[in-house]
Amino acid sequence: MEQIMDNKLMNLTLKIWRQKDAAAEGELKSYALTGVSPDMSFLEMLDVLNEQLVAKGDDAVAFDHDCREGICGMCSLMIDGQAHGPEKAVTTCQLHMRQYKDGDTITIEPFRAKAFPVVRDLCVDRSAFDRIQQAGGFCSVNTGNAVDANSMLISHDTAEKSMDAAACIGCGACVAACPNASAMLFVGAKVSQYALLPQGQPEREKRALAMRAAMDAEGFGHCTNEYECEAACPKEIKISNIARLNREYFRATLISE
Amino acid sequence: MEANENCASKCCGRLFEFLDSSIGKKFMVAAAGLLLVGFLVTHLAGNLFLYVGDGAFNHYAEALEHNPLLPLAEGGLIFLFLVHILLSARATYLNRKARPVAYESYKGKGARTPGSRTMALTGSLILLFIIIHVATFKFDVGGLKGQTPGTEESLYAHVITWFSNPLYAAFYILAVGGVGLHLSHGVQSAMQTFGVNHPRYTPLIRKAGLALAGLIFLGFVSFPVYFGFLQKCLSCSTGAH
Amino acid sequence: MKLDSKVPSGPIEKSWDKHRFELKLVNPANKRKFKVLVVGTGLAGASAAATMAELGYQVETFCVQDSARRAHSIAAQGGVNAAKNYPNDGDSIWRLFYDTVKGGDFRAREQNVYRLAQVSNNIIDQCVAQGVPFAREYGGTLSNRSFGGAQVSRTFYARGQTGQQLLLGAYSSLMRQVGLGTVKLHTRREMLDVVVVDGQARGIVCRNLVTGESETYWGDAVVLATGGYGNVYYLSTNANGSNVTATWRAHKRGAAFANPCYTQIHPTCVPVTGEYQSKLTLMSESLRNDGRVWVPKKKADPRNPQDIPEEDRDYYLERKYPAFGNLVPRDIASRAAKQMIDEDRGVGSTGLSVYLDFKDAIARIGEPKVREKYGNLFDMYHHITAENPYERPMRIYPAVHYTMGGLWVDYNLMTTIPGLFCLGEANFSDHGANRLGASALMQGLADGYFVLPYTIGGYFAGTKLAKVTTGHDAFKEAVSSVNARTQRLLKTGGKTSPSALHRKLGHIMWDNVGMGRTAKSLNTALSEIPALREEFWKSVAVTGSGEEFNQTLERAGRVADFLEFGELLAKDALTREESCGGHFREEHQTPDGEAKRDDDKFCHVAAWEYKGEGKPSERHVETLTFDNVHIAQRNYA
Repeated sequence: MEQIMDNKLMNLTLKIWRQKDAAAEGELKSYALTGVSPDMSFLEMLDVLNEQLVAKGDDAVAFDHDCREGICGMCSLMIDGQAHGPEKAVTTCQLHMRQYKDGDTITIEPFRAKAFPVVRDLCVDRSAFDRIQQAGGFCSVNTGNAVDANSMLISHDTAEKSMDAAACIGCGACVAACPNASAMLFVGAKVSQYALLPQGQPEREKRALAMRAAMDAEGFGHCTNEYECEAACPKEIKISNIARLNREYFRATLISE
Repeated sequence: MEANENCASKCCGRLFEFLDSSIGKKFMVAAAGLLLVGFLVTHLAGNLFLYVGDGAFNHYAEALEHNPLLPLAEGGLIFLFLVHILLSARATYLNRKARPVAYESYKGKGARTPGSRTMALTGSLILLFIIIHVATFKFDVGGLKGQTPGTEESLYAHVITWFSNPLYAAFYILAVGGVGLHLSHGVQSAMQTFGVNHPRYTPLIRKAGLALAGLIFLGFVSFPVYFGFLQKCLSCSTGAH
Repeated sequence: MKLDSKVPSGPIEKSWDKHRFELKLVNPANKRKFKVLVVGTGLAGASAAATMAELGYQVETFCVQDSARRAHSIAAQGGVNAAKNYPNDGDSIWRLFYDTVKGGDFRAREQNVYRLAQVSNNIIDQCVAQGVPFAREYGGTLSNRSFGGAQVSRTFYARGQTGQQLLLGAYSSLMRQVGLGTVKLHTRREMLDVVVVDGQARGIVCRNLVTGESETYWGDAVVLATGGYGNVYYLSTNANGSNVTATWRAHKRGAAFANPCYTQIHPTCVPVTGEYQSKLTLMSESLRNDGRVWVPKKKADPRNPQDIPEEDRDYYLERKYPAFGNLVPRDIASRAAKQMIDEDRGVGSTGLSVYLDFKDAIARIGEPKVREKYGNLFDMYHHITAENPYERPMRIYPAVHYTMGGLWVDYNLMTTIPGLFCLGEANFSDHGANRLGASALMQGLADGYFVLPYTIGGYFAGTKLAKVTTGHDAFKEAVSSVNARTQRLLKTGGKTSPSALHRKLGHIMWDNVGMGRTAKSLNTALSEIPALREEFWKSVAVTGSGEEFNQTLERAGRVADFLEFGELLAKDALTREESCGGHFREEHQTPDGEAKRDDDKFCHVAAWEYKGEGKPSERHVETLTFDNVHIAQRNYA
């Protein structure tokens, strides 16, 4: 019974940001979409729209996506003013249309930040994250240099804490959701993963200084502790990682030569 | 000599880099902010002499005014305010630039608080208030001093006079409300900026920050309410008897 | 075409050492004179690119995603195998080697597999050194678990995100090299052709997915690490963007394609709900440790599963395979589900699923214990289907998960085009006809960290490479053929979206070249695929232009390649008249329904050579010998 009720198809109005390329002006355009099944994922709903647009000879709405199981970090979207939509701890690809009801209007915008310029429609360029990582998001160990994996003992809790931070998928929702377009949660997670582990110690100060500098150079905003990043993060990365980044950076400023 | 200069320039370079960094700026804003909270607490404590009576309050005020360290303290305060205001203003400006195209709709997921949303607004309100407050109380702009006969030189009377002005009292209450709101976010935010975040202590810090903000608000708001309103009513009702 | 595997002779334990010794070395100062183009930045591509850059080679990498961190390796959940024997439970390099050869149903090269088992331990060391937060015991040592029916605990894991953590490890090493200026990163680039100059792979043509421009890059060698072709079935557990284009274009330039019919189908996926479905989500097969698989005895039983009494349920895996029950290997569990559905006993609104019931497990160990073991999987299922698996049995269905076939490579991981190397899932090498759980990550990283960086040096040191620039005629020819194809896609003027045509191909493949294949079904596919291909070129609708960011065009190009490749897959399946691993020919089974190999006729690798448009491909054979593992029939009944 429950299933039959759930399967009622919906008609929706979509207001979608359309922008031809980085240089062009963009605008919100309205689309009426009929016959949306509640079992569809949000991206499948956009697939259906695109198939209809293409069949009519119109340009499909460009949006980034890949794994469609919430791990690759490729999908994005600001849905009704919320990064990855209304649910908690979910990426857009895992959002299902049963969250919506017949007649709803949904506004879909790209993740917006100076550091994430729009490529087309809903696709943005998040290579700023790659460049931050290039500045220091690694342990400098060449292939073949490693010692036996068990020669380094790491407590269970430390490994778990590090894993909590490492779970970041680099989607950029933290930046999109932050009122200041700050990337502190992303950088905090990366710095924390390594700062917690013995492998990260040799480059600990260098990393904090370099990743902070790279982050600021990309034009991300300042963290004002609004915690919207934590609320938007599909992997529930905690703001304690931002606090750790603050400590790490302060410490590195003080003690590095 | 040369080594020393090198060392100094290295130190300065690192310091400048820190101050110019997003994290360093926030660190300085937070540090200045917390020191200003300290000032507010002592200011409130001093003002509580108002409740003891005009003698006590005037005595306290005089002692303060004749303290040779006062100019130093005032200088320090101005410095803290400048650091706090200028760095926050620069951060706010850069934050606006970090998102050149605004969202058509921005809802967020409910993490922001009324305090966090309004930091710039309450900060500006507080600044405006401070200007008026210093102008009227320190430099007697508006020239109220001496208007009430027989009360020349008495700061106590001066305070009462101002609080009796409903417009001023309302503005004072609004500004103190702004302070409370500002601190409801500011105190715990400063701790996070200092890197203090711990599953056991952070909830406590948040509560303590709210409590402090509440106490400061209640403390300051009590003056216009009591001296501008309650006291009069009390004297009216006693007079009627 | 001659297939020379270059497998070293002599005792297998020494073969990799001996081979490495015999490979010529490139002088450290000369390494920077060689440029390597690496296409794909998953586990294999990123690890290879980073390692070669560390050695001193000039490296350029290419990926279709917006960042090198997003490749589909990231989705692997279970773990990575290694023969560390930390749990002291009797594991060894030999045992890992043995299990992999046997698991692959004796269709892999022994020497390759042995090398894989040997370097598996180095992979764990390397990843730990990079800061990969593997699960740890309270004493601080690494945790291991048993996975995919292995009798030893040799799987290392980082929660359910092992693939992600290993990829981020490789990506971090790659980013370090980019920062050092030794690697140039090209994202949002799709490789559309390999440029062959004087018989050697010397460059690639890419579409810049943002501007639409056809870009050319030259190199002294080209490495393809572009993943598997599971999306030829339209629905699979692969990422939406996973495709066969790079390997298929290389195939058309002369790289032999080996064993395309070897596909792995995973039994525990969230079932399809409708035509719009774009992806199937995998759930860990650990669910079968406590869940019981069943369908109603009656066809199209309308009752709620909770209301169907025991006597009306058919626990078919327990019935057919009493010894292993619900824990039979992936392929057997998948085929059995298909059989039930073919008998019209499938459940759910589409009839395309079977029940996986935890009722008895909840009764036995209690809901909290079940929640502790499977909570995240139950939540994921609940989230996708809106059905609560604590109250109502889960519905599962098999889905294409991994492809063992790929470009043929020799022991050096070089394809039949000199200078063109192929790594990871994109090559055919180590898993034979069936891959064991937690072995995909191991192979990708083995190829990238510990095999290619040696063997590519041997190639450079032993090969005369003329100076080549992108001004060479071969580049011009490749660009014009790429552009012509793009224009052809844009000008069909049809009305059907590329996805709709892809879906049609998927139906043909799944129905005829899926879990159970017959000569009849394969012939059906072989007549339907060319017809669909013809329909595609008449009716595909590609809007927009070639000079812009155009995802419809990208999709259309990939579907066009799948339409060619699908035919080869079906043909390979038809020619391989035996059942082995993931390739099940219904004509060839034991009385228990087990895959029945024909070792006399098919103990070989089938590698297909492209002979030109419209001409039948030629099948070449590399005979496999088993000197170390005794060849035997699998039996799970």
